[in-house]
Amino acid sequence: MNGFAEMIIKTEDIIVKTIARILIPFIQLFSLYVIMHGHYSPGGGFQGGVIMGASLVLLFLTHGYEESKERMSEKAAILFSSTGVLIYSGIGLLCLLLLGNYLDYGRLSLILNVDLAHARSLGILGVEIGVGFAVMAVMFSIFLDISTGGIEPGEEKKNEKASTR
Amino acid sequence: MSFMTVLSILCLLGGFFFFFTATIGLLRFPDFFTRLHATGKGDTLAVFLSLLGLAFYEGISLTGLKILIIAIFMFIAQPTATHAISRAGMRSGVKPWMKENIES
Amino acid sequence: MDYFFAAVGLCLCMLVLLALYRVVFGPGIFNRVAAISAIGTKTLVILLIFGLLYQRIDMFIDISMVYALLNFIGCVAAAKYLESRQE
Repeated sequence: MNGFAEMIIKTEDIIVKTIARILIPFIQLFSLYVIMHGHYSPGGGFQGGVIMGASLVLLFLTHGYEESKERMSEKAAILFSSTGVLIYSGIGLLCLLLLGNYLDYGRLSLILNVDLAHARSLGILGVEIGVGFAVMAVMFSIFLDISTGGIEPGEEKKNEKASTR
Repeated sequence: MSFMTVLSILCLLGGFFFFFTATIGLLRFPDFFTRLHATGKGDTLAVFLSLLGLAFYEGISLTGLKILIIAIFMFIAQPTATHAISRAGMRSGVKPWMKENIES
Repeated sequence: MDYFFAAVGLCLCMLVLLALYRVVFGPGIFNRVAAISAIGTKTLVILLIFGLLYQRIDMFIDISMVYALLNFIGCVAAAKYLESRQE
């Protein structure tokens, strides 16, 4: 196995593992709160995404590569980041299709039957959710790439065999 | 000065006392593991008492409850971090301080 | 009442400066990591006292909760890396 996965398995500890298992759902719930309350208290899309990414990093550090791959594999991380950008640009394009400017949330009041101020608030909330998705997935994906060096722990033997042949 | 205000001042003073002794322990103790004793236990209790004092000052409201949640989180997470770093120190071969080191 | 909180906050800042000595002069890296965790804990309380002095404490609670989280995760990550170095 490559160095990083071997390091996590060698330094496994049951106390830190149990506490991380208890705390990670609460950290994720807190990150959702930070995304939702971005308009009033310090927070918003980027900050909530960073906290959610930090919780996934904690899961990877304490449990290893196999357990965290079940929850969020690398393919799922790439899909999540693209979905986040799709939500952001999708709301902008929707406002463009309704004969307004790009990201002009006021025109959304034609679809949802609310008045102008409510439509702007809902538009900003949707954009923040998209940003949160993208930031969480990109943080986890960058951490995986830097730590494993681009080689998954199961594929090392394939590369070795191919190079020695 | 109502009763809650006096209680909050007492809790804050107690928290500051434990912070003070923990920092002096961090500076004066002879070895890495003994310094972890000082900062791991003293800092946890000090943070808990200080946040409890601030929560009593706010009263029974939403902000008081949030401060209590931060206090409970620190009470759970800080000893775990101390355990992790002390285990790392032991596995990496940091030598503990023995009494034969002093020549008296 | 405000003067009392300001005095406590100022004395906590002095304690942070004292702990900084162990960060600079601690022999080896383990002392430095433990001292940084202690500094982070004191910063949390100083942030909340700032919020009380500005009379907008509901803004500063979220920030201090996030700082507690990041302090914990940073200490666990540093400990895991240092344990496997085995030098």
